[in-house]
Amino acid sequence: MPEKTVEAEEPRIGVFVCQCGSHIASVIDVEDLTKYAKTLPNVVYAENMNHPCSRQGQAEIIAAIKKQRLNRIVVAGCSPRLYEPTFQRCVSQAGLNPFLFEMANIREFSSYCHQNTPKEATEKAKDIAKMAVAKARLIKPLKPVELPVVKKAMVIGGGIAGINAALDLADMGFKVYLVEKTETIGGHMALLDKTFPTLDCSICIEGPKMVDVGRHPNIEIISFADILKVDGHVGNFTVKIRKNPRYVLAANCTGCGECRDACPIEYPNPSDMKLGVRKAISVPFDQAVPLIYTINKDYCIECYKCVDACGARQAINFDQKPEEVEVNVGAIIVAIGYAMNNPEDMECYGYGKYENVFTALEFERLILAAGPTGGKVIRASDGQKPHSVAFIQCVGSRDINKYEYCSGFCCMYTLKHTVMLKEKYKDAIQVYVFYNDMRSNFKGYEEFFNRAQKSGVNFIRVKLENRRITEDPKTKNLTVYAETEDGEPVKAEAEMVILANAAVPAKTAVDLAKILNIPLSKDGFFAECQPKIRPTDVEVPGIFLAGACQGLKDIPYSVAQGSGAAAQAATVLSKGTWIVEPIVAQVNEELCSGCRICGFACSYNAIDFEKVGEKELAKVNDGLCRGCGICGSACPMDAITMPHYTDEQIVAQVRSVLLVRGEKP
Amino acid sequence: MPLKTIKTDTAKALTLEWILHVKSYRLKLDRDNCVGCQICYYACPKEAIKIESQPKTQGEKTKKAKIDIDLAKCNFCGICDILCPYGAIKVTLNGEHNLSVIEKESFPQLVRDIQVDASKYPADRVKREEVCPLNLIGITWLSTDGRAVENVRSLSKKKRKELKVTINVEKENCPCCRICEFKCPEGVLRVRKFFHGRIAINPEKCPEGCMDCLDVCPITGALYFSDEDNKVHVDETFCVYCGACKAVCPIEDALELKRTRIVHTPVHSGAWNKALERLTSPVEMAKELKAKGSRKLMESVEKRFEWKATHHA
Repeated sequence: MPEKTVEAEEPRIGVFVCQCGSHIASVIDVEDLTKYAKTLPNVVYAENMNHPCSRQGQAEIIAAIKKQRLNRIVVAGCSPRLYEPTFQRCVSQAGLNPFLFEMANIREFSSYCHQNTPKEATEKAKDIAKMAVAKARLIKPLKPVELPVVKKAMVIGGGIAGINAALDLADMGFKVYLVEKTETIGGHMALLDKTFPTLDCSICIEGPKMVDVGRHPNIEIISFADILKVDGHVGNFTVKIRKNPRYVLAANCTGCGECRDACPIEYPNPSDMKLGVRKAISVPFDQAVPLIYTINKDYCIECYKCVDACGARQAINFDQKPEEVEVNVGAIIVAIGYAMNNPEDMECYGYGKYENVFTALEFERLILAAGPTGGKVIRASDGQKPHSVAFIQCVGSRDINKYEYCSGFCCMYTLKHTVMLKEKYKDAIQVYVFYNDMRSNFKGYEEFFNRAQKSGVNFIRVKLENRRITEDPKTKNLTVYAETEDGEPVKAEAEMVILANAAVPAKTAVDLAKILNIPLSKDGFFAECQPKIRPTDVEVPGIFLAGACQGLKDIPYSVAQGSGAAAQAATVLSKGTWIVEPIVAQVNEELCSGCRICGFACSYNAIDFEKVGEKELAKVNDGLCRGCGICGSACPMDAITMPHYTDEQIVAQVRSVLLVRGEKP
Repeated sequence: MPLKTIKTDTAKALTLEWILHVKSYRLKLDRDNCVGCQICYYACPKEAIKIESQPKTQGEKTKKAKIDIDLAKCNFCGICDILCPYGAIKVTLNGEHNLSVIEKESFPQLVRDIQVDASKYPADRVKREEVCPLNLIGITWLSTDGRAVENVRSLSKKKRKELKVTINVEKENCPCCRICEFKCPEGVLRVRKFFHGRIAINPEKCPEGCMDCLDVCPITGALYFSDEDNKVHVDETFCVYCGACKAVCPIEDALELKRTRIVHTPVHSGAWNKALERLTSPVEMAKELKAKGSRKLMESVEKRFEWKATHHA
């Protein structure tokens, strides 16, 4: 239906009061309010109904608009955060511009908070409605802002969440840049031995996906790279990336490994948690994608044996320089994962001091057949297989002095480790788990806990406080001391101790948050828009979150969120243009003095300055402006207006409510 | 257990360690054997080694310069171990002294050409003069059944003549100064130097009465003090060009030391070329490359220094 032109008409306002079941009507006298609304200036129609938001209710509003020739609509009901878009669509269906609608929140602002004083609540609801009507008399139709969309996406982080997001988007037909900081995609999952609760080999199930990413015609992996700068907005971000030099030419390297065999230098391999070594020219693990060798110049002695070994392939180039590239994308998915806290600072556990105390990820590399010990679980002190192993849960997590949150996956990986030990060594090994709560609350997890219990693991429930480990300096055996919930002391001697150390935000999270201008939560993970119903959105449109960087989660949930974020990104990429609410700052070029105060005030970098003739003028980037209005209040020249929230409209609202009471605005 | 990186520094030794779960690397610098020369400092490809001259105390001999190694930079490659003329540095992996850079032929070994012909040694001579300034030569008398004879002096001259003499030189600690060769009248020992070069003291700059270089020189006779001019002079016959003197000389350019050639096992290695360049000079390095006739390496030199090595050689 073509939109009706109403600017020239005298406002004809319709007020629809919502009963909201009994949420509003049980406190506020909706009949009285409706009667009152009819007395307000320019109100030509008012009624109350049970659920204006329902299909029935909307149909009634549309009918009233047509019958009464209404040209401004006010709904007195709940929060605009919940239902404003619904009513805007409803008004639009009736042939009016959606911005000729105003909402009066009499539920959250009155009926909910003044339940015991219904009379006063009704009076307050009248004031709220009056203010809405005062504004409605002045509101004008607005045209939506359309932004062109680049049909490409970027996924930052090549862990299991990023891999899935990239694959899903690529399968939908969008070009995807997968940017990875390290030499290979795969993330933490590629370092694990098995996955719970099925005990699938981790790299066996992730490896094929990594290979798919490497081969996908729509995916370009940009590995060993850093994000330097992100400009632009939803639909058209410009991302500056630095590709760090590998000193090996990707195009020429066949991944044969002959250079590695020729290399004389070894250094501690971070992928092995530095339990083992890798060569100065090597890949972090055999299944690396892309399979390109990298020279670590911190250790390389430049003997050029690798150059000889590489021979005619000529893949090695010691003069390689960092390379900066710029790409344009319409949407960005952030999936940078997490890091593990080093428990050395918690002295009571003796990590770093006692040789046979390990972190869980170290244990993962010990039990992994392709790991530095070839899958042998052996002690550091004597290289012998332990006869008893104790696991300590919540090391750093659930501790208000360290990390208040629960790391989420530790209970389950500890169960995995205990089951693997018990199934491998049977009765030849004693396994103790010092836990406080066993958090096995997803599909198949509780069953796995039962399996661990049946396999003969000793679960000891203890308090999180007062746990400590001591070492026998002769045997290097360890004794774990703890207290039960009743305060009874318990202890167990073990030849090896494994700590479930806290998982923490990735080290790059703070910098990336600054680059992307997205917020972090209190715990240091990226903040989603709304924790329940918008877990993949961030405050900046066009940027989405996936995996543990949003909050710690295990593999299946990272996979699911990766796919979820991909679907979210596709809602942007699938459109030719992205429509932004037209509530973006408008600069009056006559008044603007180019003083730049608005530019400093803006938190979204939405204001640029352009030379126009003699003057420099503020220019608002509609894609970045969030309509907060700070620039308008900062402007000393009153040159910036916020449509739908003009000074005139706001002053009218304030006057309407204060004048009656005899107060001067 | 996380990776342990440990540095222990005592008066006797400096030890660096990487202890991993499956391996352990160790570098041990024996401070007694170390003469404070500059070889390891120049040789280290990671620039991890620092050399510092020690403060002088009135009335005491000048102390040799002190070596310090940065644990954060060291990668336990063992190049310092290979090139130390005095065998003061040992790099081991899991306690074994097998250097991967040698095994993989990415670094050469010094050629310590020491020929010993024990048959020339008169078995009845028991009174012997200690000729090696570093005490590296050991003489053992063996009886006919191959057992070592403890107290040779107590035997009669005739009996002594029946004994067999073996001479053992601690080769890996030997800087090949040739003093033994010159002092031995029978020509039992024949030694070739592995460092060749030039050393000169500029009498104009050398301060009178200063004997810092002489105090630290481990090779007796390579430097000597002359009462005539109250200055130190050089005897190049014995100098091993290690640079211990240069490290402590208080006056710039008073002591000129240039290594021109290093005798080593054949190798094809960029790391060696760089070490050679630092230990000698780019010109000397280019000479060696030219001698090797390796065109590819020559090209890389030309690329690096932007001149044709042949022009200067």
